[in-house]
Amino acid sequence: MKYFTYILRNVRRNPIRSMLTIASMSISLFLMMILLSFFAMNDESTSAARIYNRIVVMNANGFAGMLPISDLAQIREMDGVLAATPFSWYGGKYKDEQMPFAQFGIDADTIFTILDEYTVPKDQLEDFKKNKDGCIIGRKLAEDRNLKVGDPLPLKGDLFPVDLDLSIRGIYDGDINRDLRMCFFHWEYFDEALKRTAMAGASSTSLAGDSGRRSGNAGTIFVKCKSADVMAPLSSKIDDHFRNSDNPTRTQTEEAFGKMFVEMMGDLKNTIYWIGGAVVISLLFVAGNAMAMAMRERTTEVAVLKAIGFGKPLVLFLILAEAVIVAGLGGVLGSLGCKALCDFVDVARYSGGFLPFFYVPWNIALTGLAVSFFIGLASGLAPALLAANSSVINGLRKVV
Amino acid sequence: MSQTASIELQGVDKEYRRDDFKIPVLTGLDLTVAEGEFLALMGPSGSGKTTLLNLIAGLDRSTRGKVIVHGQDLGDLSEAEITRWRAHNVGFIFQTYNLIPVLTAFENVELPLLLTSLSKRKRRDNVMTALKVVGLKDREHHYPRQLSGGQEQRVAIARAIVTDPYLLVADEPTGDLDRTSAGEILDLLEQLNQEFQKTILMVTHDPLAAERASRTLHLDKGQLVDDKVREARVPAAS
Repeated sequence: MKYFTYILRNVRRNPIRSMLTIASMSISLFLMMILLSFFAMNDESTSAARIYNRIVVMNANGFAGMLPISDLAQIREMDGVLAATPFSWYGGKYKDEQMPFAQFGIDADTIFTILDEYTVPKDQLEDFKKNKDGCIIGRKLAEDRNLKVGDPLPLKGDLFPVDLDLSIRGIYDGDINRDLRMCFFHWEYFDEALKRTAMAGASSTSLAGDSGRRSGNAGTIFVKCKSADVMAPLSSKIDDHFRNSDNPTRTQTEEAFGKMFVEMMGDLKNTIYWIGGAVVISLLFVAGNAMAMAMRERTTEVAVLKAIGFGKPLVLFLILAEAVIVAGLGGVLGSLGCKALCDFVDVARYSGGFLPFFYVPWNIALTGLAVSFFIGLASGLAPALLAANSSVINGLRKVV
Repeated sequence: MSQTASIELQGVDKEYRRDDFKIPVLTGLDLTVAEGEFLALMGPSGSGKTTLLNLIAGLDRSTRGKVIVHGQDLGDLSEAEITRWRAHNVGFIFQTYNLIPVLTAFENVELPLLLTSLSKRKRRDNVMTALKVVGLKDREHHYPRQLSGGQEQRVAIARAIVTDPYLLVADEPTGDLDRTSAGEILDLLEQLNQEFQKTILMVTHDPLAAERASRTLHLDKGQLVDDKVREARVPAAS
């Protein structure tokens, strides 16, 4: 502690160089935090779904395949099922927005039994159940677009040739790591719109014919199981039950279902990790160069310290501590700063609908901080060893 | 010499290696310095003055021969031991002062004390005493850039004496100073020698500075060529 003044003064000795080193460290770490958090957050939120005992049923051939709504009744009858709902993606556009937010046709009676981590005021839920054109939206979706209960929510069909004129009947809320930017509406309302379009067209156009083919499709079915123990056998049972039907199913836990989307990004995760490694190495060079320059300028000073009795280990410690403080300051700003910023500012709001929510998990922020300390140590090691082992005579000869 | 021997050099050789060449700097040097002596080392550039100073201060090692300071054969000490020995026994004064520019006068003087187990309060007392001795008690918060050359050298002297070493080595302590400041620094060194009985070894090119010493050695090509003692200035220790 008694050497802290000396170490700190050396950190501030060349403020521009220190600031630039700290800035390069913090900006690089900030960007790495964003990238790593994206994957870590996905992992964390999908893993967090484990406790809700939910399984997801979809067509064995993927999202393009149909899952008849008649399957829902059969699934509800199975042992171990607490509740089940269709969960059908709509993807309509709101006003002039290009990127649709998440919109799902669901069963109003069971959706919040199944997604029980969300809360919605009882009166709003009842109102939603009673009104077929009603919808319930997430709190953040409402905040982003300044929507409130009672407002209309017209959605223009994009994937489907039907428009939905919804009205907001409720706003749900939940934890930070849950999606608060979804819109739930009655599956029946959506399906009836598809049927109406099909009938109106009377098969005269291919578009209307397409609507007819798409009606009666549950999309996916979300099932709330009575306990975690029944999830695996129930999944097998569902798939066995529909194996020989026209639309065989693939049932998996919600966690596996979520990870499936991450896997769709292929090797991107590994690529990001490789980029992260390259960033760490380049930061090592940046910080190492700064420390080497600082030490070259202080050759005589180090010789004086050694002359008056500072031993090799102490010189080594002083230089390493300086390097760690410089890199650590960059780490604090870059990683903890990124976390603080993402905690206070709703970054997902500015993602154009790409991210439903965004936060920097603590383990990622602390990893970033640890990486900065490692960079400090590693970058300071070579200059520190050189200084500790340098000749006092040669150092003093520079000026004496 | 009737005084107790403080420094003894017995048949000391020092040579440096440059690639395949051996460059002799000191050859067969024998020297005895009494405790409390103020010794000036003079000679042309390359004569070995600073090398001799470095050997006695424990900054360098002889190629052959013994260097005994205050009864301690420096050749017997390991690298770490000789570093500790320097911290306790030797104070250094350099031509260009070599103060740490980012530390105040107080903090510069305190540096050697950080190596001790003294409390903060005791360190402060010692630093203020040293600054008082060199006449800079009121400049404790000043950085080196805020001091004149003479004042910087005074701070350097305070740093050299703050641990109360018995040997002070000064390599051209007045080399960067004007005549007035140089005179003040030499007055201070004389005071340290006579009032505080410090043994002082001073390398200088300046005959006027050498006149302040009790004894002047002349070196040439690594050998002692002249040894003048000014009896009147030798402290009568025994």
